Amino acid sequence: MSSRSAIPVTSLPKGHAFARVRFTIDRAQAAAYLEATGDTTDYGDALPPLAVVALALGALQEQIALPEGALHTGQEVEHRMPATAGEALELRGQVAMRSERQGFVITALDYTVSGVHGDVVTARTTIMAPAPGGGA
Amino acid sequence: MIRVPAVAREIDQARIDAYARASGDANPIHIDAAFAAATSFGGTIAHGMLVMALLAEMMHAAHGEAWVRTGALKVRFKAPTRPGDTVTASAGEPRQAAGRIDYPVQCANQRGEVLIEGRATVAAP
Repeated sequence: MSSRSAIPVTSLPKGHAFARVRFTIDRAQAAAYLEATGDTTDYGDALPPLAVVALALGALQEQIALPEGALHTGQEVEHRMPATAGEALELRGQVAMRSERQGFVITALDYTVSGVHGDVVTARTTIMAPAPGGGA
Repeated sequence: MIRVPAVAREIDQARIDAYARASGDANPIHIDAAFAAATSFGGTIAHGMLVMALLAEMMHAAHGEAWVRTGALKVRFKAPTRPGDTVTASAGEPRQAAGRIDYPVQCANQRGEVLIEGRATVAAP
């Protein structure tokens, strides 16, 4: 995953498309994720779908600056098909919704991770952040 | 209808730190005690996705490969999880419609505070 200039989440307009990110999750990364979460269930050759989402979100965060007080308020995930360790993955995403309410900007990020055989997961992350200057 | 046993786990700072490394989410609110102490939270909090992982684990344990292939989660993060909290993920009474099983799910701490609330669905066998 490469470093990109980050845009404040409160400045992202609806429809903003993030730069596509190509990445892989190797066995060691998947094992580290499972160790950290404490999940000991057996995924066989498949990557845990939420691990794919978590690392995709981490990659998206390289393109988003979160101000102090920003909160992750909602998360949606749909599994499409399993991915395997080492598989070439591509993340594409955009700002699906932006609204302002009571001094906060609420932003919904929609993103999809695709593998070599098609979409692996689709997800929506909702972030609430203080509006710049405290006004809405 | 498939029974979904609850999953409980302590979320300590070491686990939060490990999750930050594994996920790449190094927001200081999760891992920098001095920074977090100066925020409205008064201390570090766990990543919402770390706590949400208990729901995924619970559903995977019950539904196996069907969860990996067809599962879906839709949740709201309602309250912060603090280091030392013991979180219990649980599922309520399922409904079946349109070929999917739909469970109300939540994560709550040892004080009974609901941290995450939402729904989990998976294709019916």
